[in-house]
Amino acid sequence: MLGGYVGPIAIGVAMLLGARAAGVARALLRASLLLSLPIAVSVVLVSVFTRPGSTVLFTIGPFDATLEGVDFAAQTLVRLLAISLSIGLFLLTTEARAFVFDLERRGVPPRFTFVALATIEAVPTLVERAATIAESQRARGLDTEGGVRARVRGVLPLVGPAVITSLTDVEERSLALESRAFSRPGRRHLLWSMPDSGRERLLRVVLVLALLGAVVVRVAGVPLPVVG
Amino acid sequence: MLRLAGVSYRYPGFATPALREVTLELRPGEIVGVVGANESGKSTLCLVASGLAPGSIGGELTTGSVEIDDRPTAGRPLHELATQVGIGFQNPATQLSGVAGSVFEEVALGPMDLGLPARETVERTKAALATLGIEELAERAPRRLSGGQGQLVVLAALLAMRPPYLVLDEPTAQLDPEGTRLVGEALGRLAATGTGLLIAEHKTDLLADVCDRVVVIDGGRLVAAGGVTEVLADPAMESYGIEPPSTVHLERALAERGLDPEVVRG
Amino acid sequence: MTRLALEQVGFVYPDGTRALDAVDLVVEPGASVALIGQNGSGKSTLVRHLNGLLRPTEGRVLHDGVDTAERRTAAMASVVGVAFQDPGRQIFSRRIRDEVAFGPRILGHSKERVVASVAEALELVGLTDVADQNPYDVGYSRRKLLALASVVAMETPVVVLDEPTTGQDARGVRRVATLVETLVTAGRTVIAVSHDMRFVAETFERVVVMQRGRVVLDGSVSEIFAEAAWPTLASSFIEPPVAARIGARLGLGSTPTERAFVDAMAARGGS
Repeated sequence: MLGGYVGPIAIGVAMLLGARAAGVARALLRASLLLSLPIAVSVVLVSVFTRPGSTVLFTIGPFDATLEGVDFAAQTLVRLLAISLSIGLFLLTTEARAFVFDLERRGVPPRFTFVALATIEAVPTLVERAATIAESQRARGLDTEGGVRARVRGVLPLVGPAVITSLTDVEERSLALESRAFSRPGRRHLLWSMPDSGRERLLRVVLVLALLGAVVVRVAGVPLPVVG
Repeated sequence: MLRLAGVSYRYPGFATPALREVTLELRPGEIVGVVGANESGKSTLCLVASGLAPGSIGGELTTGSVEIDDRPTAGRPLHELATQVGIGFQNPATQLSGVAGSVFEEVALGPMDLGLPARETVERTKAALATLGIEELAERAPRRLSGGQGQLVVLAALLAMRPPYLVLDEPTAQLDPEGTRLVGEALGRLAATGTGLLIAEHKTDLLADVCDRVVVIDGGRLVAAGGVTEVLADPAMESYGIEPPSTVHLERALAERGLDPEVVRG
Repeated sequence: MTRLALEQVGFVYPDGTRALDAVDLVVEPGASVALIGQNGSGKSTLVRHLNGLLRPTEGRVLHDGVDTAERRTAAMASVVGVAFQDPGRQIFSRRIRDEVAFGPRILGHSKERVVASVAEALELVGLTDVADQNPYDVGYSRRKLLALASVVAMETPVVVLDEPTTGQDARGVRRVATLVETLVTAGRTVIAVSHDMRFVAETFERVVVMQRGRVVLDGSVSEIFAEAAWPTLASSFIEPPVAARIGARLGLGSTPTERAFVDAMAARGGS
């Protein structure tokens, strides 16, 4: 019965230890919990009351909460946390630019690098622009603090300029970039390379093999001591 | 030499040409100004001279051709043209790539995109920053620059491509006086490297300082050309919507009152 | 008609940077004032205090003696209209005419009043013949004029223009100058932020110079561009208009405008 918990908890703890080492443990925990919360709530509600089971813990209306249901929900939650902690740790400790450039070094086309980086950069720019637009429209009397009706009225005057200027910016930028040989097909020599070491390479190989091994074991149905 | 020979151009989807039979020559190291009212064809002229029209935006050269050293630019791939003639626009924000973490990276982007080896990219970048005098901005984030600084970075980025010719469409239009001064100085430095500059501008005072000669465009046609002072001082310029330099304006006002205009020059 | 007053207004951004420092400013109805200074001198911050987009962290902003602290920003738009520098940050309508009508409609003007004020505003900026076109089918300089028309149509007693001549050609600048003069003649207050000193000298009566969040000079065009003020202007990288410089070189006193220069030359006897 406990078997289903060991794996995910082990992963979760490993991720948290890694996060501690990187100094992002608190941020990781907060982000993972916040992101998992909505799904977790629905999982719990559904599983606790609908899993077929024999041991009833309590009843709410026509719904029975079973021990089996609680067990299933708990296992799912723990797996969910393991996943979100791993993804979270990756996102928090990997610099986006470094990641994208390294992909390019390994053969991904430069266009992809540009799109990925531009997308990341686009967000703060858009946020700034939205604030500027809101200012201009407020200066014309648009009420951004009022009731629902006022807010609905404000959608087009706020969204319209944002969309239009984003599009014209893209047009202008793509013209300007032609003069920087942006449309040249083919690879380029990046100025920067990701520092790597023998140890990290070995670790990567080991992790990939472990993943493959785990899949094979699962598929082949090999019984392991702790599988519940 | 960059040459437009009797060039007419119409934008895609438009029937009437925006440029009509324009003939213009630009030699390395020369600074030629283009003056004209808004919507007279200045920007179109810049796009055509750089090959981006029709190369990137479409449309058609209905007459004439654009040639660099006697080779037509029509049909040549844009990344190749970028090493022959670069173009700068008025808004620094939309010319910066948005993907560079520092000014150095921004300027290095062009040479990198050319597929140059890393060492040469670095060399060109350093040289371009030095020519524009902005080495101390190398580590700054491009988003945080002032307008004038941004334009200088754009100029450095274009210069790193080492084109013999640069076309600039109103480089100071959105800048404050300090930015205008910075860019004005930079133009001199650019020309000193032997780059031929074609600059479209409203600020006749700036053009009077910087240009060797000037052409006037109106309704898509070149209607005048010649030395900066003589062309800009011509009273006919008013009908083209062009304000003469402030000194000329004062001289005329004095003359109108029957007073001696010589005092303005002193 | 509205009298604007800033009393010891200070403003500090949330991150701690001080943008305004003990600013005292009074603008009477019908005045024409140019606000000049380097980027970062506090001009833009000041403008945003006039219509409530920003609230002072110290001091008060008064409209006709009433503290604006309690009024909502949307309510202040009927008193102070501001046209910002970049038209792209506000245009969203399919037709120029509709764009101009947006402000007056939001303010709740009657249909007849909106039609009339829109027509008048379009006429003042010279956009009547393109009123039914898409704003993005006309050039940038006309879109800037559109932004001006949009604020004029709101019929506010105070009109604030942020860099109205940037990107304009000679005709465009003249149009803006004429617009300012027409508004002032009609009794409205016009405040403009500008770095075009010639436009400032030829169009406005009063100039306020800002530096590092403070008002360092406040006077008539003639006083501000007189030689005595040049060192202060220079420390803000502001160059007086050519007419002023040549007039000073010739010992004519303060001649910031072409008119003043020519008059002074004529008075001297023309040599």
